[in-house]
Amino acid sequence: MATRLLSPEEAVAELVPEHGVVGVGGMHATAAPMALVRELVRRRVPVGRLVTSPSASLQADLPIGAGLVDELVSPYVGFEDLGLAPCFRRAAEEGSLRIVECDEGGLTHALYAGAGGIPFVPLPPGIERTDIPAASPGLYKETKDPFTGETCWAIQAIRPDVALIACLEADERGNVAFGRVPFTDRLLALAARRVVVQVERIVSSAQIAAHAPGTTLPAFLVAAVVVAPGGCAPTSFPGEYGRDEAELTAYLAAARTPEGFEEYLRAAAG
Amino acid sequence: MSPEYTPTELMAIVMARSFGDGEVVVMGAVPTIPLAACRLARALHAPALSYIVGGSGTVDPAPARLSTQSCGPELVGGPCTLPLPEVVLLEGRGDVLDVFCAGGLQIDARGNCNLVCVGDREHPRLRGPGSVGLPFLPAVGRTLVYTLAHNPRTFVEQVDFVSGAGDRAQLVVTPLATMDFDPQSRRMRLASTHPGVTVDDVVAATGFELVLPPSVPETPPPTGEELAELRRLDPAGSLR
Repeated sequence: MATRLLSPEEAVAELVPEHGVVGVGGMHATAAPMALVRELVRRRVPVGRLVTSPSASLQADLPIGAGLVDELVSPYVGFEDLGLAPCFRRAAEEGSLRIVECDEGGLTHALYAGAGGIPFVPLPPGIERTDIPAASPGLYKETKDPFTGETCWAIQAIRPDVALIACLEADERGNVAFGRVPFTDRLLALAARRVVVQVERIVSSAQIAAHAPGTTLPAFLVAAVVVAPGGCAPTSFPGEYGRDEAELTAYLAAARTPEGFEEYLRAAAG
Repeated sequence: MSPEYTPTELMAIVMARSFGDGEVVVMGAVPTIPLAACRLARALHAPALSYIVGGSGTVDPAPARLSTQSCGPELVGGPCTLPLPEVVLLEGRGDVLDVFCAGGLQIDARGNCNLVCVGDREHPRLRGPGSVGLPFLPAVGRTLVYTLAHNPRTFVEQVDFVSGAGDRAQLVVTPLATMDFDPQSRRMRLASTHPGVTVDDVVAATGFELVLPPSVPETPPPTGEELAELRRLDPAGSLR
Protein backbone atom coordinates (compact mmCIF):
# COMPACT_ATOMS: atom_id res chain seq x y z
CA MET A 1 0.00 0.00 0.00
CA ALA A 2 1.32 3.44 -0.88
CA THR A 3 2.71 5.58 1.89
CA ARG A 4 0.44 8.47 2.73
CA LEU A 5 1.53 12.00 3.43
CA LEU A 6 -0.60 13.05 6.40
CA SER A 7 -0.90 15.78 9.00
CA PRO A 8 -0.23 14.79 12.62
CA GLU A 9 -4.01 14.99 13.21
CA GLU A 10 -4.83 12.64 10.34
CA ALA A 11 -2.01 10.21 11.12
CA VAL A 12 -2.98 9.76 14.76
CA ALA A 13 -6.73 9.65 14.06
CA GLU A 14 -6.43 7.06 11.29
CA LEU A 15 -3.41 4.97 12.20
CA VAL A 16 -3.13 4.76 15.99
CA PRO A 17 -5.70 2.25 17.26
CA GLU A 18 -7.41 2.87 20.61
CA HIS A 19 -6.20 0.56 23.42
CA GLY A 20 -3.45 -0.77 21.14
CA VAL A 21 0.26 -1.43 21.57
CA VAL A 22 2.00 1.83 20.67
CA GLY A 23 5.77 2.01 20.21
CA VAL A 24 7.38 5.40 20.59
CA GLY A 25 10.95 6.10 19.49
CA GLY A 26 13.69 8.53 20.42
CA MET A 27 16.34 7.92 23.10
CA HIS A 28 16.32 10.06 26.23
CA ALA A 29 15.64 13.62 25.05
CA THR A 30 16.88 13.00 21.50
CA ALA A 31 14.71 12.48 18.41
CA ALA A 32 11.45 11.88 20.25
CA PRO A 33 8.51 12.13 17.80
CA MET A 34 6.83 14.86 19.85
CA ALA A 35 4.57 16.21 17.07
CA LEU A 36 2.90 12.77 16.96
CA VAL A 37 2.95 12.25 20.73
CA ARG A 38 1.41 15.67 21.36
CA GLU A 39 -1.38 14.87 18.92
CA LEU A 40 -1.96 11.52 20.62
CA VAL A 41 -2.33 13.38 23.91
CA ARG A 42 -4.51 16.13 22.43
CA ARG A 43 -6.90 13.54 21.01
CA ARG A 44 -6.74 11.57 24.27
CA VAL A 45 -6.12 8.25 22.49
CA PRO A 46 -6.10 5.48 25.10
CA VAL A 47 -2.99 3.30 24.88
CA GLY A 48 -3.21 -0.32 26.00
CA ARG A 49 0.54 -0.78 26.18
CA LEU A 50 3.18 1.87 25.57
CA VAL A 51 6.54 0.48 24.42
CA THR A 52 9.45 2.91 24.40
CA SER A 53 13.10 2.89 23.36
CA PRO A 54 15.50 1.62 26.01
CA SER A 55 15.38 5.15 27.46
CA ALA A 56 12.50 7.60 27.17
CA SER A 57 11.72 11.04 28.56
CA LEU A 58 8.87 13.36 27.55
CA GLN A 59 7.57 10.95 24.87
CA ALA A 60 6.51 8.64 27.72
CA ASP A 61 5.89 11.10 30.54
CA LEU A 62 3.35 13.17 28.58
CA PRO A 63 0.93 10.33 27.68
CA ILE A 64 1.37 8.81 31.15
CA GLY A 65 0.58 12.17 32.76
CA ALA A 66 -2.53 12.50 30.60
CA GLY A 67 -3.74 9.19 32.05
CA LEU A 68 -3.79 7.50 28.66
CA VAL A 69 -1.46 4.58 29.34
CA ASP A 70 -2.69 1.34 30.92
CA GLU A 71 0.60 -0.52 30.79
CA LEU A 72 4.19 0.58 30.21
CA VAL A 73 7.09 -1.44 28.80
CA SER A 74 10.17 0.73 29.23
CA PRO A 75 13.59 0.16 30.77
CA TYR A 76 14.00 3.85 31.68
CA VAL A 77 11.77 6.90 31.93
CA GLY A 78 13.60 9.98 33.13
CA PHE A 79 15.27 13.21 32.15
CA GLU A 80 18.92 12.34 32.93
CA ASP A 81 20.69 15.41 34.33
CA LEU A 82 17.43 17.40 34.49
CA GLY A 83 15.69 15.03 36.91
CA LEU A 84 13.21 12.19 37.33
CA ALA A 85 10.09 11.93 35.17
CA PRO A 86 7.38 13.59 37.26
CA CYS A 87 4.23 11.98 35.82
CA PHE A 88 5.77 8.52 35.51
CA ARG A 89 6.98 8.77 39.07
CA ARG A 90 3.61 9.92 40.39
CA ALA A 91 1.71 7.23 38.50
CA ALA A 92 4.11 4.54 39.75
CA GLU A 93 3.94 5.74 43.34
CA GLU A 94 0.12 6.01 43.24
CA GLY A 95 -0.17 2.61 41.57
CA SER A 96 -2.21 3.97 38.65
CA LEU A 97 0.13 2.60 35.97
CA ARG A 98 0.97 -1.07 35.29
CA ILE A 99 4.72 -1.20 34.80
CA VAL A 100 6.20 -4.21 33.04
CA GLU A 101 9.70 -4.11 34.50
CA CYS A 102 12.26 -4.73 31.76
CA ASP A 103 15.80 -3.99 30.68
CA GLU A 104 17.61 -2.48 27.73
CA GLY A 105 19.05 -5.75 26.48
CA GLY A 106 15.83 -7.68 26.85
CA LEU A 107 13.73 -5.04 25.12
CA THR A 108 16.17 -4.77 22.24
CA HIS A 109 16.19 -8.53 21.73
CA ALA A 110 12.38 -8.60 22.04
CA LEU A 111 12.06 -6.04 19.25
CA TYR A 112 14.53 -7.97 17.11
CA ALA A 113 12.38 -11.05 17.66
CA GLY A 114 9.25 -9.09 16.79
CA ALA A 115 10.89 -7.87 13.60
CA GLY A 116 11.93 -11.35 12.52
CA GLY A 117 8.90 -13.42 13.43
CA ILE A 118 10.86 -15.13 16.22
CA PRO A 119 8.54 -16.01 19.13
CA PHE A 120 11.08 -15.42 21.91
CA VAL A 121 14.80 -14.92 22.41
CA PRO A 122 17.03 -16.54 25.02
CA LEU A 123 18.99 -13.86 26.88
CA PRO A 124 22.64 -13.67 27.84
CA PRO A 125 23.47 -14.35 31.49
CA GLY A 126 22.93 -11.55 34.01
CA ILE A 127 19.17 -11.09 33.96
CA GLU A 128 18.67 -14.08 36.30
CA ARG A 129 20.68 -12.24 38.95
CA THR A 130 18.17 -9.37 38.98
CA ASP A 131 14.62 -8.95 40.30
CA ILE A 132 13.32 -8.15 36.80
CA PRO A 133 12.10 -11.61 35.64
CA ALA A 134 10.18 -12.20 38.88
CA ALA A 135 8.57 -8.76 38.56
CA SER A 136 7.57 -9.40 34.93
CA PRO A 137 6.66 -13.10 34.65
CA GLY A 138 4.54 -12.39 31.57
CA LEU A 139 7.52 -11.10 29.61
CA TYR A 140 10.46 -13.18 30.91
CA LYS A 141 10.36 -16.97 31.28
CA GLU A 142 12.87 -19.52 32.41
CA THR A 143 13.67 -22.13 29.77
CA LYS A 144 16.29 -24.67 28.79
CA ASP A 145 18.99 -24.34 26.20
CA PRO A 146 18.05 -27.24 23.89
CA PHE A 147 21.72 -27.73 22.97
CA THR A 148 23.32 -27.83 26.41
CA GLY A 149 20.33 -28.50 28.63
CA GLU A 150 21.33 -25.54 30.80
CA THR A 151 18.79 -23.17 32.29
CA CYS A 152 18.46 -19.78 30.67
CA TRP A 153 15.98 -16.93 30.56
CA ALA A 154 14.03 -15.83 27.53
CA ILE A 155 12.01 -12.75 26.60
CA GLN A 156 8.89 -12.80 24.48
CA ALA A 157 8.82 -10.99 21.12
CA ILE A 158 7.29 -7.52 21.11
CA ARG A 159 5.24 -6.35 18.14
CA PRO A 160 3.72 -2.88 18.44
CA ASP A 161 0.50 -2.24 16.53
CA VAL A 162 2.02 1.06 15.49
CA ALA A 163 5.46 2.64 15.87
CA LEU A 164 5.87 6.41 16.01
CA ILE A 165 9.39 7.54 15.15
CA ALA A 166 11.16 10.72 14.09
CA CYS A 167 13.60 10.81 11.16
CA LEU A 168 15.26 13.52 9.12
CA GLU A 169 13.87 13.21 5.62
CA ALA A 170 11.46 11.33 3.39
CA ASP A 171 10.80 11.42 -0.31
CA GLU A 172 7.33 11.67 -1.79
CA ARG A 173 7.03 7.89 -2.10
CA GLY A 174 7.67 7.49 1.61
CA ASN A 175 11.26 6.26 1.61
CA VAL A 176 12.78 7.57 4.81
CA ALA A 177 16.32 8.54 5.85
CA PHE A 178 17.10 8.48 9.56
CA GLY A 179 19.75 11.20 9.24
CA ARG A 180 20.86 10.43 12.79
CA VAL A 181 22.00 7.62 15.05
CA PRO A 182 19.08 5.20 14.79
CA PHE A 183 19.24 3.95 18.40
CA THR A 184 16.69 1.08 18.51
CA ASP A 185 14.20 3.00 16.36
CA ARG A 186 15.00 0.88 13.29
CA LEU A 187 14.17 -2.28 15.22
CA LEU A 188 11.03 -0.66 16.59
CA ALA A 189 9.96 0.23 13.05
CA LEU A 190 10.78 -3.25 11.73
CA ALA A 191 8.90 -4.91 14.60
CA ALA A 192 5.74 -2.82 14.28
CA ARG A 193 2.71 -3.78 12.25
CA ARG A 194 2.44 -0.18 11.07
CA VAL A 195 4.95 2.68 11.05
CA VAL A 196 4.29 6.43 11.18
CA VAL A 197 7.37 8.56 10.60
CA GLN A 198 7.62 12.19 11.52
CA VAL A 199 10.23 13.99 9.38
CA GLU A 200 11.79 17.44 9.25
CA ARG A 201 11.21 17.76 5.50
CA ILE A 202 10.41 16.08 2.18
CA VAL A 203 13.30 15.81 -0.26
CA SER A 204 13.87 14.22 -3.67
CA SER A 205 14.39 10.48 -4.06
CA ALA A 206 17.93 11.22 -5.22
CA GLN A 207 18.62 12.94 -1.91
CA ILE A 208 17.27 9.96 0.03
CA ALA A 209 19.41 7.64 -2.08
CA ALA A 210 22.48 9.73 -1.28
CA HIS A 211 22.29 8.70 2.40
CA ALA A 212 24.58 5.91 3.49
CA PRO A 213 23.22 2.41 2.90
CA GLY A 214 21.47 1.02 5.95
CA THR A 215 20.30 4.40 7.20
CA THR A 216 17.06 4.37 5.27
CA LEU A 217 13.66 2.67 5.57
CA PRO A 218 11.80 1.62 2.44
CA ALA A 219 8.42 3.14 1.69
CA PHE A 220 6.72 -0.27 1.81
CA LEU A 221 7.31 -0.37 5.58
CA VAL A 222 6.03 3.16 6.14
CA ALA A 223 2.28 3.69 6.47
CA ALA A 224 2.48 7.45 6.72
CA VAL A 225 4.93 10.32 6.65
CA VAL A 226 4.15 13.41 8.67
CA VAL A 227 6.11 16.58 7.93
CA ALA A 228 6.77 18.39 11.20
CA PRO A 229 9.75 20.76 11.05
CA GLY A 230 11.16 21.19 14.54
CA GLY A 231 8.70 18.50 15.60
CA CYS A 232 10.98 16.78 18.10
CA ALA A 233 11.15 19.87 20.30
CA PRO A 234 11.74 20.24 23.16
CA THR A 235 13.87 17.14 22.56
CA SER A 236 16.73 17.44 20.09
CA PHE A 237 17.32 16.28 16.56
CA PRO A 238 21.07 15.83 16.02
CA GLY A 239 22.39 18.11 13.34
CA GLU A 240 19.18 20.16 13.27
CA TYR A 241 18.54 21.49 16.77
CA GLY A 242 19.52 20.84 20.37
CA ARG A 243 17.23 20.05 23.27
CA ASP A 244 15.31 23.04 24.63
CA GLU A 245 16.49 22.95 28.23
CA ALA A 246 14.37 25.91 29.31
CA GLU A 247 11.21 24.25 27.98
CA LEU A 248 12.08 20.86 29.50
CA THR A 249 12.85 22.48 32.84
CA ALA A 250 9.58 24.38 32.70
CA TYR A 251 7.78 21.12 31.98
CA LEU A 252 9.45 19.36 34.90
CA ALA A 253 8.48 22.19 37.24
CA ALA A 254 4.88 22.34 35.99
CA ALA A 255 4.34 18.56 36.00
CA ARG A 256 5.34 18.27 39.65
CA THR A 257 1.61 18.43 40.45
CA PRO A 258 -1.34 17.04 38.46
CA GLU A 259 -2.81 20.55 38.31
CA GLY A 260 0.42 21.99 36.98
CA PHE A 261 0.57 19.25 34.37
CA GLU A 262 -2.99 19.93 33.18
CA GLU A 263 -2.20 23.62 32.97
CA TYR A 264 0.92 22.83 30.92
CA LEU A 265 -1.19 20.77 28.52
CA ARG A 266 -3.76 23.53 28.17
CA ALA A 267 -1.06 26.13 27.50
CA ALA A 268 0.69 23.83 25.01
CA ALA A 269 -2.60 23.33 23.18
CA GLY A 270 -2.78 27.13 22.79
CA MET B 1 50.78 21.42 48.41
CA SER B 2 48.05 20.12 46.13
CA PRO B 3 45.96 22.55 44.10
CA GLU B 4 42.33 23.23 45.05
CA TYR B 5 39.83 20.88 43.46
CA THR B 6 36.20 19.79 43.91
CA PRO B 7 35.10 16.34 45.19
CA THR B 8 33.61 15.64 41.76
CA GLU B 9 36.90 16.41 40.07
CA LEU B 10 38.65 14.04 42.46
CA MET B 11 36.08 11.34 41.62
CA ALA B 12 36.82 11.70 37.90
CA ILE B 13 40.56 11.55 38.59
CA VAL B 14 40.27 8.47 40.82
CA MET B 15 38.14 6.73 38.18
CA ALA B 16 40.63 7.66 35.46
CA ARG B 17 43.48 6.11 37.45
CA SER B 18 41.58 2.81 37.59
CA PHE B 19 41.38 2.42 33.80
CA GLY B 20 44.10 0.41 32.08
CA ASP B 21 45.52 1.12 28.66
CA GLY B 22 43.59 -0.69 25.93
CA GLU B 23 40.50 -1.29 28.05
CA VAL B 24 36.98 -0.64 26.82
CA VAL B 25 34.65 1.27 29.15
CA VAL B 26 30.89 1.61 28.83
CA MET B 27 28.79 4.24 30.60
CA GLY B 28 25.10 5.11 30.85
CA ALA B 29 22.85 8.08 31.48
CA VAL B 30 24.32 11.38 32.76
CA PRO B 31 27.80 10.43 31.53
CA THR B 32 29.62 13.55 32.73
CA ILE B 33 31.93 12.01 35.33
CA PRO B 34 32.86 8.74 33.57
CA LEU B 35 33.27 10.62 30.28
CA ALA B 36 35.70 12.99 31.99
CA ALA B 37 37.50 10.03 33.56
CA CYS B 38 37.89 8.20 30.25
CA ARG B 39 39.18 11.23 28.44
CA LEU B 40 41.57 12.00 31.25
CA ALA B 41 42.92 8.44 31.28
CA ARG B 42 43.46 8.57 27.53
CA ALA B 43 45.30 11.86 27.82
CA LEU B 44 47.55 10.76 30.68
CA HIS B 45 48.28 7.05 30.84
CA ALA B 46 45.91 5.02 28.67
CA PRO B 47 46.08 6.33 25.08
CA ALA B 48 44.49 3.14 23.72
CA LEU B 49 41.49 3.25 26.09
CA SER B 50 38.12 3.21 24.34
CA TYR B 51 34.75 4.23 25.72
CA ILE B 52 31.15 3.94 24.61
CA VAL B 53 28.74 6.64 25.71
CA GLY B 54 25.38 5.31 26.74
CA GLY B 55 22.48 5.00 24.38
CA SER B 56 24.12 7.12 21.70
CA GLY B 57 26.59 4.32 21.04
CA THR B 58 29.26 6.87 20.16
CA VAL B 59 32.78 5.56 20.64
CA ASP B 60 35.51 7.87 21.96
CA PRO B 61 33.62 11.16 21.48
CA ALA B 62 35.53 14.27 22.54
CA PRO B 63 32.89 17.02 22.73
CA ALA B 64 34.05 20.56 23.41
CA ARG B 65 32.19 20.48 26.73
CA LEU B 66 31.54 17.43 28.88
CA SER B 67 28.13 16.05 28.05
CA THR B 68 25.54 15.82 30.78
CA GLN B 69 23.22 13.78 28.52
CA SER B 70 24.11 10.45 26.97
CA CYS B 71 22.50 10.99 23.54
CA GLY B 72 23.17 14.69 23.13
CA PRO B 73 23.87 16.14 19.68
CA GLU B 74 27.33 17.20 20.87
CA LEU B 75 28.31 13.52 20.96
CA VAL B 76 27.60 13.08 17.27
CA GLY B 77 30.90 13.13 15.47
CA GLY B 78 32.70 10.66 17.67
CA PRO B 79 35.04 8.79 15.35
CA CYS B 80 32.79 5.73 15.44
CA THR B 81 29.22 4.91 16.38
CA LEU B 82 27.68 1.59 17.33
CA PRO B 83 23.90 1.60 16.94
CA LEU B 84 22.41 0.68 20.31
CA PRO B 85 21.35 -2.86 19.30
CA GLU B 86 25.01 -3.57 18.60
CA VAL B 87 26.12 -2.18 21.97
CA VAL B 88 23.57 -4.57 23.49
CA LEU B 89 25.11 -7.49 21.57
CA LEU B 90 28.61 -6.64 22.75
CA GLU B 91 27.44 -6.19 26.35
CA GLY B 92 25.92 -9.66 26.26
CA ARG B 93 28.84 -11.57 24.77
CA GLY B 94 30.99 -10.73 27.72
CA ASP B 95 34.50 -10.68 26.24
CA VAL B 96 34.68 -7.24 24.67
CA LEU B 97 33.86 -4.72 27.38
CA ASP B 98 36.15 -4.36 30.39
CA VAL B 99 34.51 -1.79 32.65
CA PHE B 100 30.86 -0.85 33.22
CA CYS B 101 30.37 2.46 35.05
CA ALA B 102 27.13 2.17 37.01
CA GLY B 103 25.19 3.79 39.82
CA GLY B 104 21.83 3.60 41.48
CA LEU B 105 19.15 5.02 43.73
CA GLN B 106 20.45 2.39 46.11
CA ILE B 107 23.77 0.55 46.23
CA ASP B 108 24.20 -2.27 48.70
CA ALA B 109 26.93 -3.96 50.70
CA ARG B 110 27.52 -6.48 47.89
CA GLY B 111 27.61 -3.89 45.12
CA ASN B 112 24.12 -4.59 43.81
CA CYS B 113 22.58 -1.53 42.15
CA ASN B 114 18.92 -0.49 42.12
CA LEU B 115 17.47 2.05 39.70
CA VAL B 116 13.84 0.95 40.08
CA CYS B 117 12.33 1.83 43.43
CA VAL B 118 12.74 2.58 47.10
CA GLY B 119 10.30 0.46 49.08
CA ASP B 120 7.99 -2.15 47.63
CA ARG B 121 7.96 -2.08 43.82
CA GLU B 122 4.16 -2.14 43.61
CA HIS B 123 3.83 0.73 46.08
CA PRO B 124 7.18 2.50 46.04
CA ARG B 125 8.10 5.41 48.28
CA LEU B 126 10.24 6.59 45.38
CA ARG B 127 10.08 5.37 41.82
CA GLY B 128 13.33 5.60 39.88
CA PRO B 129 13.72 5.61 36.12
CA GLY B 130 14.24 1.85 35.61
CA SER B 131 16.95 -0.76 35.23
CA VAL B 132 18.18 0.19 31.72
CA GLY B 133 21.39 -1.77 31.02
CA LEU B 134 22.29 -2.75 34.58
CA PRO B 135 21.41 -6.46 34.19
CA PHE B 136 24.55 -6.66 32.04
CA LEU B 137 26.80 -5.84 35.00
CA PRO B 138 27.86 -9.47 35.62
CA ALA B 139 28.60 -9.91 31.89
CA VAL B 140 31.16 -7.09 31.67
CA GLY B 141 34.71 -7.51 33.00
CA ARG B 142 34.27 -5.40 36.11
CA THR B 143 31.85 -2.89 37.54
CA LEU B 144 32.89 0.57 38.68
CA VAL B 145 30.13 1.94 40.90
CA TYR B 146 30.04 5.70 41.32
CA THR B 147 27.59 8.09 42.93
CA LEU B 148 27.49 11.67 44.13
CA ALA B 149 25.16 10.61 46.95
CA HIS B 150 27.19 8.99 49.69
CA ASN B 151 24.53 8.80 52.39
CA PRO B 152 22.69 6.09 54.33
CA ARG B 153 19.66 6.27 52.00
CA THR B 154 21.79 5.35 49.01
CA PHE B 155 24.22 2.94 50.69
CA VAL B 156 21.95 0.28 52.16
CA GLU B 157 22.51 -3.24 53.48
CA GLN B 158 20.33 -4.71 50.75
CA VAL B 159 18.77 -2.96 47.76
CA ASP B 160 14.96 -3.00 47.53
CA PHE B 161 15.22 -4.15 43.90
CA VAL B 162 18.20 -5.69 42.10
CA SER B 163 18.56 -3.95 38.72
CA GLY B 164 22.12 -5.19 38.28
CA ALA B 165 24.01 -7.72 40.37
CA GLY B 166 27.21 -6.71 42.13
CA ASP B 167 29.13 -9.93 41.38
CA ARG B 168 31.84 -8.10 39.48
CA ALA B 169 31.84 -4.81 41.38
CA GLN B 170 35.45 -3.98 42.17
CA LEU B 171 35.60 -0.28 42.90
CA VAL B 172 33.15 2.23 44.36
CA VAL B 173 33.89 5.95 44.07
CA THR B 174 31.99 8.68 45.95
CA PRO B 175 32.70 12.27 47.00
CA LEU B 176 33.94 10.90 50.35
CA ALA B 177 35.93 7.77 49.68
CA THR B 178 36.84 4.82 47.52
CA MET B 179 35.74 1.32 48.42
CA ASP B 180 36.52 -2.15 47.17
CA PHE B 181 35.22 -5.58 48.18
CA ASP B 182 36.54 -7.96 50.79
CA PRO B 183 37.59 -11.07 48.85
CA GLN B 184 36.25 -13.45 51.51
CA SER B 185 32.87 -11.96 52.41
CA ARG B 186 32.35 -10.01 49.11
CA ARG B 187 31.18 -7.12 51.30
CA MET B 188 32.11 -3.53 50.55
CA ARG B 189 35.33 -2.46 52.25
CA LEU B 190 36.69 1.02 52.81
CA ALA B 191 39.78 1.41 50.61
CA SER B 192 40.70 5.09 51.02
CA THR B 193 39.25 8.28 52.38
CA HIS B 194 39.50 11.47 50.37
CA PRO B 195 41.64 14.27 51.83
CA GLY B 196 39.78 16.00 54.65
CA VAL B 197 37.38 13.08 55.18
CA THR B 198 37.69 10.79 58.23
CA VAL B 199 36.88 7.11 58.50
CA ASP B 200 34.10 8.10 60.91
CA ASP B 201 32.61 10.44 58.30
CA VAL B 202 32.41 7.57 55.82
CA VAL B 203 31.02 5.12 58.36
CA ALA B 204 28.33 7.65 59.33
CA ALA B 205 27.40 8.22 55.70
CA THR B 206 27.04 4.50 54.95
CA GLY B 207 23.85 2.65 55.85
CA PHE B 208 25.53 -0.71 56.41
CA GLU B 209 28.57 -1.99 58.19
CA LEU B 210 31.58 -1.39 55.95
CA VAL B 211 34.51 -3.75 56.22
CA LEU B 212 37.24 -1.63 57.83
CA PRO B 213 40.85 -2.62 57.29
CA PRO B 214 43.30 -1.96 60.16
CA SER B 215 44.53 1.19 58.49
CA VAL B 216 42.86 3.24 55.78
CA PRO B 217 45.08 5.30 53.48
CA GLU B 218 44.18 8.73 52.16
CA THR B 219 43.17 8.92 48.48
CA PRO B 220 46.14 10.54 46.74
CA PRO B 221 44.99 14.08 45.86
CA PRO B 222 45.07 15.23 42.23
CA THR B 223 48.49 15.98 40.84
CA GLY B 224 48.98 19.29 39.10
CA GLU B 225 49.12 17.46 35.78
CA GLU B 226 45.87 15.54 36.40
CA LEU B 227 43.98 18.64 37.41
CA ALA B 228 45.32 20.78 34.57
CA GLU B 229 44.40 18.14 32.00
CA LEU B 230 40.95 17.59 33.53
CA ARG B 231 40.18 21.30 33.41
CA ARG B 232 41.33 21.45 29.82
CA LEU B 233 38.71 18.78 29.05
CA ASP B 234 36.08 20.56 31.11
CA PRO B 235 36.22 24.22 30.13
CA ALA B 236 32.58 24.73 31.13
CA GLY B 237 33.35 23.57 34.66
CA SER B 238 30.74 20.79 34.70
CA LEU B 239 32.64 19.05 37.49
CA ARG B 240 33.19 22.18 39.60
